[in-house]
Amino acid sequence: MREFLALLKKDLRTARNLGRVVREHSSFKIGFILVFASSILLGLWTLFAAGFWFLDSLGGLGLMLVSRLFALFFLGLGVMLALSGILTSYTTFFRSDETAFLFLKPLGMGHIALYKALQSAVYSSWAFFFTIIPFIGAYAWHEKLSVFFSLVTLFFSIPLVLLCSGIGSLICLIGARWLPRGKWLLSIMVVLAVGVAIWGMRAASVSAALDEDTTLFLSRLIPGLRAASNPLWPSWWVAEGIMALARGQWARGLMLWSVLFSNVLVMGMLIEIAGQAYFYKAWQRVNYSGEIVKRRGTLLGSLDRALGFLGADTRALIVKDIRTFLRDPTQWSQGLIFFGLLGLYYLNLRNLHYHMLPSEWRNVIVFLNVFSVSAVMCSLGSRFVYPQLSLEGQGFWIIGLSPVGMRRVLASKFVLAVGGMMGTSVALMYLSTRMLLVPPRVQAVALGVAVAMSLGIAGLSTGLGALFLDLKQTNPASIVSGFGGTLNLVLSLLLICGAVFPFGFLFHLRYIERLGEPELQRGLVAASLWVVLLTLPATLIPLWLGGRSLRKREY
Amino acid sequence: MIELEHLSKNYGSVRAVRDLNLKISRGELFCFLGPNGAGKTTTIKMMCGLLHPSAGAIRIGGIDIREDPIAVRRITGYIPDFPFLYDRLTAAEFFEFTGDLYKVPREEVAREMDVSFERFGLVEQRHVLIKDLSHGLRQRVIYAVTLLHKPRVLFVDEPFIGLDPFSIRMIKDLLKTKAREGMTIFLTTHILALIEDMADRIGILVNGNLAAVGTFEQLAAHCSIQGGRLEDVFFSLAT
Repeated sequence: MREFLALLKKDLRTARNLGRVVREHSSFKIGFILVFASSILLGLWTLFAAGFWFLDSLGGLGLMLVSRLFALFFLGLGVMLALSGILTSYTTFFRSDETAFLFLKPLGMGHIALYKALQSAVYSSWAFFFTIIPFIGAYAWHEKLSVFFSLVTLFFSIPLVLLCSGIGSLICLIGARWLPRGKWLLSIMVVLAVGVAIWGMRAASVSAALDEDTTLFLSRLIPGLRAASNPLWPSWWVAEGIMALARGQWARGLMLWSVLFSNVLVMGMLIEIAGQAYFYKAWQRVNYSGEIVKRRGTLLGSLDRALGFLGADTRALIVKDIRTFLRDPTQWSQGLIFFGLLGLYYLNLRNLHYHMLPSEWRNVIVFLNVFSVSAVMCSLGSRFVYPQLSLEGQGFWIIGLSPVGMRRVLASKFVLAVGGMMGTSVALMYLSTRMLLVPPRVQAVALGVAVAMSLGIAGLSTGLGALFLDLKQTNPASIVSGFGGTLNLVLSLLLICGAVFPFGFLFHLRYIERLGEPELQRGLVAASLWVVLLTLPATLIPLWLGGRSLRKREY
Repeated sequence: MIELEHLSKNYGSVRAVRDLNLKISRGELFCFLGPNGAGKTTTIKMMCGLLHPSAGAIRIGGIDIREDPIAVRRITGYIPDFPFLYDRLTAAEFFEFTGDLYKVPREEVAREMDVSFERFGLVEQRHVLIKDLSHGLRQRVIYAVTLLHKPRVLFVDEPFIGLDPFSIRMIKDLLKTKAREGMTIFLTTHILALIEDMADRIGILVNGNLAAVGTFEQLAAHCSIQGGRLEDVFFSLAT
């Protein structure tokens, strides 16, 4: 027990020392981050508050929906936590240097696994709390509830986080021990992906043929509500428990909390047992099993030939970047997961009957989808494109001393980033607009914005990555969390908001008949000009600044 | 103190260590040599319990590592070539943390910290975050922390990488002193001149096979090299 407490004490001390580390950063940077984080919280709070006012306007139906909405909200967050728990656990259990360090200490494998699961829960839960704080804050403000209500929510949220993240850790642990690897795993994933795609497309074609009965439509419109109200879900215990305590029903609230907490304890026990039995073997399997793969690069060899029209130096740079990208699963797997989930969602738009919604709502969904695709590009651009020049690190001298020239290095990285982003975003936007059966004009605008965002985000990430080059840093997370990384993220998000909002707003005004057709056309021309004026500098200025900085830099 | 019996490790079809048999006595400073990729680090990792042997047995202090890995960890210490440190703990906090993991009584941890930090020249850096320490000072922290629970066996992998001559001298003297006090030390390095000066016995590993083992004089005699240096012996056996 003392060893386990020592691990927790160590983390508390690390957290305390974080204050010392933060003080080393510039106050401008910290202020910038705080202002931006507060703005996001405030924005979410406003959005949720507007949602609660909207439910109010539905009268009795709204009242009935609120408790189910709570259950759905916690169910959604719980599922996301479990999924995020799988990914985070893989890193904390198997990729962290700390694991090998702890294996050398006289600690039981079960204890180490439990500690790692707690660590994963902390790492994967920040987004949960970032979402829940404005949600609960907006509800408390709307219902004029006291601070006590927010404390109760926290009281329920912590065990939910531990439970859902624990499920992710357990799946990860067992998966790492038993799941087939290499070609077998790839084959299973391909079969699953094809299966899901076929199921999605079949569901879409079947649902399009359903009648338009209003009750059916409403029950299918928000299909999660019914599922979320199943009393066997932990999310339901949380939603019901919070509501019960807010109503002063102490016994019921505490009973539900106890049910939740006892499940957390069982989960902890399961992780400890699984850890004792499988952690060491799974760790061996992940880190030391299999042969050294001899990569002959057949596919990339043909790419090299296909790019024969380019100069040998530019071609070499591009092929090198594609090779390193494909051989780093953390990069492509995250892109695959994010875009894959979006693709799955778009494939199911008709299954959710969103194509039968009134035009103004379909329009809102189209532009929310443009925003979501752009936000994923922004996240991937910040995480992978921005630090790629810095990550050349000690090897930068090879490029720096070669006769390629920094402008071309930068241009090749930009072209690659744009190619990847544009191909994916345009395909997803095409799918989304097709599924929602929107008019060609809306479709063209959505595709155009996706193209503009691909250019802008790639330009910002590549250019600022060159401008704030940090060749000493080997940890991508540290590069991304620096001032340049933060600036890149903020500017990309501002660009997205600035480009998506005007079009969405114009079409919305037209659909609710607050705008005539001639005004819409004039507005669209103005908005297009605005997006061009926004995207061109966002793309070119960072690239120009980055290129100039690279040329002037001493290595 | 250390017994390896028919120890082998395979990575797929690659045989990293093949049928290794070795006995190292208490208080012996044993140096393990070999070209890059010979299997030295794999052997150390198996002895520490970080890698599972494909075949064979390892006994440390008479305890089979497969049967009671935790008991083995209590009596061993391992300093890898690139050690892991908690960057956001201070040197003193890291020391206390390790003491708790090994259940060293708190008073003893405090007493040892004074002695150890004095010996390693870390008194001034006691409350400095580890991330702010130079490579040499970080290495000193590692040694101070690893020796806290007084291991009976110490595994050291490439201890002299990137160190200045003062630090190298300090670590060399420390290891010799500890071996004289009864600690068994299993060390790998590529600095042959240092091995000549320190080692009680030397083992040379080539492609996972133990090519030769013995004192420097025995190895020289084995290779029929008279009055030569370890470098000559090494090249004779490793090529």
